[in-house]
Amino acid sequence: MSTKEMFSKERVNFDLKSNTKDEVIDELIDLLVKDGKVSDRDEFKKAVLKRETEFSTGIGMGIAIPHGKSNAVIEPSIAFGRSDKGIDYKSMDEKPAYLFFLIAVPEKSSDLHLKALSEISRRLMHSEVREQLTKAQTFEEFIKAFD
Amino acid sequence: MKFVAVTSCPTGIAHTYMAAEALQMAAKEMGHEIKVETQGSVGAENVITDKDLKEARAVIIAADTNVDKSRFAGKPLIEVGVQEAIKDPKGLIERAMNLKQSSNLTDQVKEIKSEQKQKRTGIYKHLMTGVSYMIPFVVGGGILIALGFALGGIYVFKSTTTVAATIFWTGKASFALMIPILGGYIAYSIADRPGIVPGMVGGYLASNNGSGFLGALVAGFIAGYLVLLIKKYIRLPKSMDGLMPVLIIPVLSIIVMGLVMGFVINQPLAYFNKALMGWLSGLKGANAALLGAILGGMMALDMGGPVNKAAYAFGTATLGSSGQLSPIMAAVMAAGMVPPLAIALSTVITKKKYTVAEREAGKAAWALGASFITEGAIPFAASDPLRVIPSIIVGSAVTGGLSMMFNCALAVPHGGIFVLFIPNVVSNLPQYIISILAGMVVSAVILSAVKKNIE
Repeated sequence: MSTKEMFSKERVNFDLKSNTKDEVIDELIDLLVKDGKVSDRDEFKKAVLKRETEFSTGIGMGIAIPHGKSNAVIEPSIAFGRSDKGIDYKSMDEKPAYLFFLIAVPEKSSDLHLKALSEISRRLMHSEVREQLTKAQTFEEFIKAFD
Repeated sequence: MKFVAVTSCPTGIAHTYMAAEALQMAAKEMGHEIKVETQGSVGAENVITDKDLKEARAVIIAADTNVDKSRFAGKPLIEVGVQEAIKDPKGLIERAMNLKQSSNLTDQVKEIKSEQKQKRTGIYKHLMTGVSYMIPFVVGGGILIALGFALGGIYVFKSTTTVAATIFWTGKASFALMIPILGGYIAYSIADRPGIVPGMVGGYLASNNGSGFLGALVAGFIAGYLVLLIKKYIRLPKSMDGLMPVLIIPVLSIIVMGLVMGFVINQPLAYFNKALMGWLSGLKGANAALLGAILGGMMALDMGGPVNKAAYAFGTATLGSSGQLSPIMAAVMAAGMVPPLAIALSTVITKKKYTVAEREAGKAAWALGASFITEGAIPFAASDPLRVIPSIIVGSAVTGGLSMMFNCALAVPHGGIFVLFIPNVVSNLPQYIISILAGMVVSAVILSAVKKNIE
């Protein structure tokens, strides 16, 4: 499965309401649960938070890439969220995060999520990509950034 | 130009690839070629081949984890944290471009030392700044004192008029300044120029009133932060601004410094100093050897780094306080000579286990070790730390322990082989030389035994 295929228009939210790191993780997990990609929200959240304790997924430049590998994940998928006001994510550069990618992979998916992460990280180094993501209003505009 | 790079971050997910991407983008813009090997959670991808390495001008390592550098030995190499590659990839590539091509050993050592200097922050940085200003006073003074003894015999200090005596007393003068300088430049590191006054005055008070090296250390920090406080809370109208550095800060800071030193610092620290010196001189036999071994091991553990500097500073401090020959200083210098000497010996007795470049570097290491430039071992340690560092720690510990056991003592803080034969600089010279040789041989044998054969 390619990284692009892990996105879907049911799993994007261009106007996150959350104010804190914990809330935004919840808001993103909701997208996955509603879309039927995650079967047990609490178990998946545990996996995501466990990963957070190892090392903040707030990688700086306004981006956060929380992720979790868990049996509660039915199908590999990514939820994208954008908060225009920014959320304090305890990021490495101590600045707020505006673009969020929540990556969910099943327990047995070997390195799929790592591949997705590496691809996304590479793309996000390009300022045009970040700009497109900041401006996108529809899923079509969003997915163009990953062409 | 072609470059190779390795990126690696502890979690191996995002930053590894971001750094790689950043370097690739920057190289493209600059018209260079770069091959970036990523060491992420999936393992190494895009691995650098021998051919890539041969064609590359320099190696860039952007990593927050330990990357095995042994395959890059001989190539100009620059190592930074992952964030730096992400933030300023172009600057990084430029620095890589400007790396000296013919990395002979002394150049490599110089580069490593300046990289180390840049990485220091905070309390450690202030301390090291002070120490780095202090050391030339100690070394210059110490050697002159030794020369004075050499030219004028052991009673040279009874006179003040002969050439030998003049040299001796000049050395003493330089020595006397070391403690105020320590205090002054620790404060300078914290608070810049205005810190120098209270720092040096505090240091001088410390040296005069028995709290010595430690007192000056404390004084330096107090002085520095004191000046920062004064600068923060005392606000003058603009017209009187000029008075701050010339009048207000000096007066305020020295008054506080003097009171603090006199009523708070000096007594307890002087007492501590005396106790420490008393304990040290009472050390005999097994305890002395143990201390020597520990100090010796410290010298080899992180050459040029904080542990090594702490042991060395301890050695010089004992010189400052007692003035005459110090067994601690002897152990420290002997142990510090061992790492480069041992490596040099190893490259000779097991030629086959070293590359041509390393054997050449080994020749330089003889000279560096003999001159007590412990850092001569760093490039070897950096390229094969798991084998080199334990081997040299053992030998240096042996040397330190033996030196203390044989009651060798040293009057000067530096000079290596060049001061050994000046009369009155080393006590129990034959045993001292044996200590050094013993450690050198032990380390060399261990290192040669564990070194892998070159394929």
